[in-house]
Amino acid sequence: MLKKKNKNRIRRSGSDRILKICAVVLSLVFAALMLYPFIFAISGSMKNNSEIYEVPPKILPSSANSVSLVVDYSDVEGDEEKLKDLMQQDSVLSMFGINYKMGDQSIMEIQFYGTKDGKTVFHSRAHQMKLQMECDYGIFTRSAIKKDVILHGDRYLRASESLGYEFDLNGISKECPENLGNYFKDSITELLNEKYPLTGKLVSVGNKQNNWLNLESFKYYLQMPGYIYPKNEAIGKFGFMTFVGNSVIVIGFAMIAQVILCSICAFVISRLLTPRVGKVVLMFFMGAMMIPFASIMLPQLVMYREMGAYNNYAALLLPFLYPYGFYVYLYKGFFDQIPGSYFEAASLDGASNFYLYSKICMPLSKPIISLIALQTFIGNWNDFFWAWMVTEDQNLWTLNVALYNISNNVSTKQNALMGLAVVTITPVVLLSILFSKQLKQSIVASGVKG
Amino acid sequence: MNKKEKKKHRMSGYTFKRKVAPWCILAPPIFFTLWLKYYPIISAFFISLFKYDPINPPGHFVGLKNYQDMFQMDFYWQSWKNTLIFLLLQLAMCFFIPLIQALLLNELQRLQKGLTTLYILPALIPTSVNVIIWRWIWHPDYGVANQIVKFFGGEPQAWLSDPELVKFCIIFPGVLGGGLTVLLYLSAIQGISGDILESAALDGCTGFSRITKIILPNISFMVFIQLIMCVITTMQLLDAPYMYASGGPSGASTTQGIFIYQAFNQDLNYGRGSAASIVLLIVTALLTMVQMHFEKSERE
Repeated sequence: MLKKKNKNRIRRSGSDRILKICAVVLSLVFAALMLYPFIFAISGSMKNNSEIYEVPPKILPSSANSVSLVVDYSDVEGDEEKLKDLMQQDSVLSMFGINYKMGDQSIMEIQFYGTKDGKTVFHSRAHQMKLQMECDYGIFTRSAIKKDVILHGDRYLRASESLGYEFDLNGISKECPENLGNYFKDSITELLNEKYPLTGKLVSVGNKQNNWLNLESFKYYLQMPGYIYPKNEAIGKFGFMTFVGNSVIVIGFAMIAQVILCSICAFVISRLLTPRVGKVVLMFFMGAMMIPFASIMLPQLVMYREMGAYNNYAALLLPFLYPYGFYVYLYKGFFDQIPGSYFEAASLDGASNFYLYSKICMPLSKPIISLIALQTFIGNWNDFFWAWMVTEDQNLWTLNVALYNISNNVSTKQNALMGLAVVTITPVVLLSILFSKQLKQSIVASGVKG
Repeated sequence: MNKKEKKKHRMSGYTFKRKVAPWCILAPPIFFTLWLKYYPIISAFFISLFKYDPINPPGHFVGLKNYQDMFQMDFYWQSWKNTLIFLLLQLAMCFFIPLIQALLLNELQRLQKGLTTLYILPALIPTSVNVIIWRWIWHPDYGVANQIVKFFGGEPQAWLSDPELVKFCIIFPGVLGGGLTVLLYLSAIQGISGDILESAALDGCTGFSRITKIILPNISFMVFIQLIMCVITTMQLLDAPYMYASGGPSGASTTQGIFIYQAFNQDLNYGRGSAASIVLLIVTALLTMVQMHFEKSERE
């Protein structure tokens, strides 16, 4: 056995070996190049708001810091309402001030503890992305981050509500953790004393490394559309998930419509018509498929507008209601192979066409159904232009349209964009790895891509 | 006499049902196809003959004047030129990459499965995501592209804002290859019969000469089909140039699709847009016919 192997190795020529080495090396280079944009996007999405604009860009995001401020109010006189109000003021002031002035220090989280007589009575926490969103689109849009501006009117109250806080004069269960670093102590103390003076007395400033905060950014990326388009109710409620939902509706409808329509057409062509007539009908459907979208988009838009299918789901879904010729062709190829005796036996027993289709044809064609569904997904997942032309309301946008519009919004930060891009592709990438076998089969089976 | 009787017999209930039932079932799909796909073509041709007025259609009949005016527009020919440059860039930079990747994949054993999965991924990444990533890579101030240029001692470029470079920037992401084409090539290569490969090996045809002399001639048909597919898709290029640069800067990335879109969206000239649609349709139809002709001749 061993000898035989050796012999084989000797017989293989040098040229073959060089080719093999070349193939391995080049394929790995291609793979690395192809993965680079993904890794670039993932790393970009986890960078903080200033790091993303660093030149030259770093490959890995830097580690995230959590800063805890403890402010003592023992010396402050006043009733409960007054105390709460002061603490809210201080917390909002310090958080936005630190985020604005020290944005380049990778402080991803700020915790604010208010104490009185040795008890913690107030706690509020904010993530950098949340603070930035309020500055970019929310309560502090287009306003300078200064003390008077932040505390003007009821703005700080709204900000505090939006960040969330806990207050109880009898003490709350949260306590500032011990053993924190004091890397930011001097800089923050100086900053707060000079620019954002607090009512309470700043007792301690501690910092802790917590890299999970980089991942927490994603939560705020998903909420971000709600901030960018505040007038839209659905987006305010569901955030980015609105667009995911729309895409699911459109693609899901396309898959169901194609699977059903194409199978019915193929059944009729394959079983009920003579081969020659069937071929003509098939050519009719195939011809419709080959019409380029660019050349009918204008009359299509005019037509849909006249029908009232504009800026609603009808406009998004109607284009999928015709059988796609190529899938009819694939179905027909499959149905032709089902033995005719099945159908003869059933029709002799008096089965109707509907029975033949639903009880004999469809149960036998599970593999082809999954193939068509996959093909529809691959083919229409990338659709952009039609959805972009017919939608005006933001809550109708599909993922592609939403990503394009958000990326054209000037104040959107690149890390948030990358984050949304990663959110969009991750499920698809995971599913395609999971179902890679079926996917490959379906692509190969379809031969020439649609 | 006998024949007539037979005919009468054929039209009895059972046969009648057999003749008509299929068309009853097929009626809705055929109607929808006619309505949603074929009717717009006729309507495009119809609109292209009018000085179309969107408020009280169809407006003023002008015959073929829209076509005449359009063919005298520099911008129209500019958009065809852009489309052709896109096509040349696509063929020079991106067309052969999947073929090379498939040829290399065929030589691998252990890595093949994983890498094929990886090569499918670019087909599943929507253009909008690609645009987000690559616009950042091309960014003049913060992007990676200028860093690389600087590293080799070159001048930083404006990339997507530079009319000279914008086409290159839009096509370049395709250099990474991948996509469904790799799989199609690979399955074509693996479909070559083992006998041919074996006898070639016995004659001492191994390594690179096997690729050039045995494999490539055997899949030349597939390559040709893909070439035509590539030409057809590039002719209809619409999403990518629009999303990367909205057809700009100064019309340098305006393809046929974007020309049509801008004709009715910016200039509100529905007639010109429809005329361009019809010309594009004819060009695509011709290319498709070439493709079908070759596919048919291969099958026979």
